[in-house]
Amino acid sequence: MSEDLIRMEHIDKFYGRVQALDDVNFNVTRQEIVGLLGDNGAGKSTLIKVLSGAVRATSGDIIVHGKRVDIRSTTDAIALGIETIYQDSALVTQLSIARNLFLGREPLKGPRFLNRMDAKLMEQVTGELLRKVGIGKSIPASTPISSLSGGERQAVAIARAMHFDSDLIILDEPTNNLGVAETQGVLRFVRNARDSGHSCILIAHNIHHVFQVVDRIAVMRHGRIVADDIDPKHTTVAEVEAVITGEFADSTH
Amino acid sequence: MTQTSTLRRIISAPEFGPLVLLILEIAVFAAINPAFLSPLNISNTLTFTVELGLIALAMTLLMTAGEFDLSVGSVFGFAPVAMWTLYNAGVTSLFVGFVVALLIAAAIGLFNGLFVTRLRIPSFLVTLGMLLVVRGVALFVTDGFPQRTWSASGQWLADLLVGDFHVRPFRVYASLFWFIAAAIILGYVLTQSKFGNWIQATGGNAVAARARGVNVNAVKVWLFVLSAVMSAFAGIISSIRTSAANPNSGSGYELEVIAMVVIGGTALTGGRGTIIGTVLGILILRVMRNGIVLVGVPGLAYNIFIGAIILGMMALHSWLERRHQAGT
Repeated sequence: MSEDLIRMEHIDKFYGRVQALDDVNFNVTRQEIVGLLGDNGAGKSTLIKVLSGAVRATSGDIIVHGKRVDIRSTTDAIALGIETIYQDSALVTQLSIARNLFLGREPLKGPRFLNRMDAKLMEQVTGELLRKVGIGKSIPASTPISSLSGGERQAVAIARAMHFDSDLIILDEPTNNLGVAETQGVLRFVRNARDSGHSCILIAHNIHHVFQVVDRIAVMRHGRIVADDIDPKHTTVAEVEAVITGEFADSTH
Repeated sequence: MTQTSTLRRIISAPEFGPLVLLILEIAVFAAINPAFLSPLNISNTLTFTVELGLIALAMTLLMTAGEFDLSVGSVFGFAPVAMWTLYNAGVTSLFVGFVVALLIAAAIGLFNGLFVTRLRIPSFLVTLGMLLVVRGVALFVTDGFPQRTWSASGQWLADLLVGDFHVRPFRVYASLFWFIAAAIILGYVLTQSKFGNWIQATGGNAVAARARGVNVNAVKVWLFVLSAVMSAFAGIISSIRTSAANPNSGSGYELEVIAMVVIGGTALTGGRGTIIGTVLGILILRVMRNGIVLVGVPGLAYNIFIGAIILGMMALHSWLERRHQAGT
């Protein structure tokens, strides 16, 4: 049994009187890809927001690398090696791909006081990354985000997480609005990420995509984790769908 | 092939429209009245242009970060009053008075910045309040009278800031070089530096920038400070050149400066800014003011032309923007 990278214990989250998360226990081990499934409103997004620092849990503990941590903001989460890629990926549309990729961590060149960005290095690294995620062919790194398609924007956000070596990359519906080639690029990236030592949480409505890449599937329903050790190799899509919708009272396998 | 694509890139640049307008303006005025291109007229036009221009350069960065500053005109009037009051009272040397005036301006900018970022009040309201406070202080301190400045001649500081000399038939003030230096430095900061990337990200998508670890609030506070200090610097230069520190000077400049910046192609909503465009915008408005008088249009009609230019350029920029979005 490999060591836990992230462990969430007894997480509760209330929005006023509404309980979005109910005593959730969830973990991700090193080099593991976990698929997080559940119907709309099951609590997946809230769980991810807690982990990525977008909202704070009402109660419960988060343990990263064996240490109890307090994640108060997305900056805290990034510092702990947790990178989240949302559907509306957080990019500055006026800036170029390269400038977005390195935003906040721009490489400098020349004397420090000149504060000069190494634009050449940025464009070169960006070009390589874009090729890796499968959209490098025709798009130069100096293209502003505003002229990219939704899928291309997703790929840029993924390239960013990939480059900055996050331990855990959370992908919230990464294949939405993507073309076939782009989807394959994203899924390939998820596999590569595991091989290069990263862990991933993959949230997707398309169960077939999840089945292609994950090591383990966890299912949420009504703010609770109802199954967290479904092995995609020994389970069918239909069985998982039944767990998601709650057609089986319990989820024994 | 490369030639046409280079040409296309130049044409689609946001600075292209202002450049054409400026050339057109100069051509028309020169054709109607040849005196427009005389060394004397060019020298005179440049003199005040660069003083207002210093403020517009700082405003460009601030507006790119998504904020603007209405208090610049008041600071322009107040800073020289503070400096000359200190000096005339015999409290400090002229240089110390100069430094103190800039520090007071920096404090005003800091106050603006903290109000906007900490209390989350729109910069329109904060700096409108500051406009009145600073103007009021200038009037109160001086009882509304101009401060004595004629003792400036022979001061090394005065020579350094606005010493004049002749290059052939042109009379050039040192302030021209301050303006050129500021334009180069701020242009570099905006387009080449890491801080410039943060400025654009702050104005473009503050939430995304913050998520990447960019200290959005610090960026804005620094730019408010820069805007106030540059306004004070410009006001002091102007007061030494005209030998007058009038507590009323600078009123209305804030709108002219903002007009210069947006005519140049900087977005009022933030995220996109251009120093080259601002330099063009500065020249467009100042050349217009000068040329209109020279070709015999009544000076009172000046604002009609300025307003028309602003509306026309806004229409052009928005058309270019839409075409750019659709073109993908």
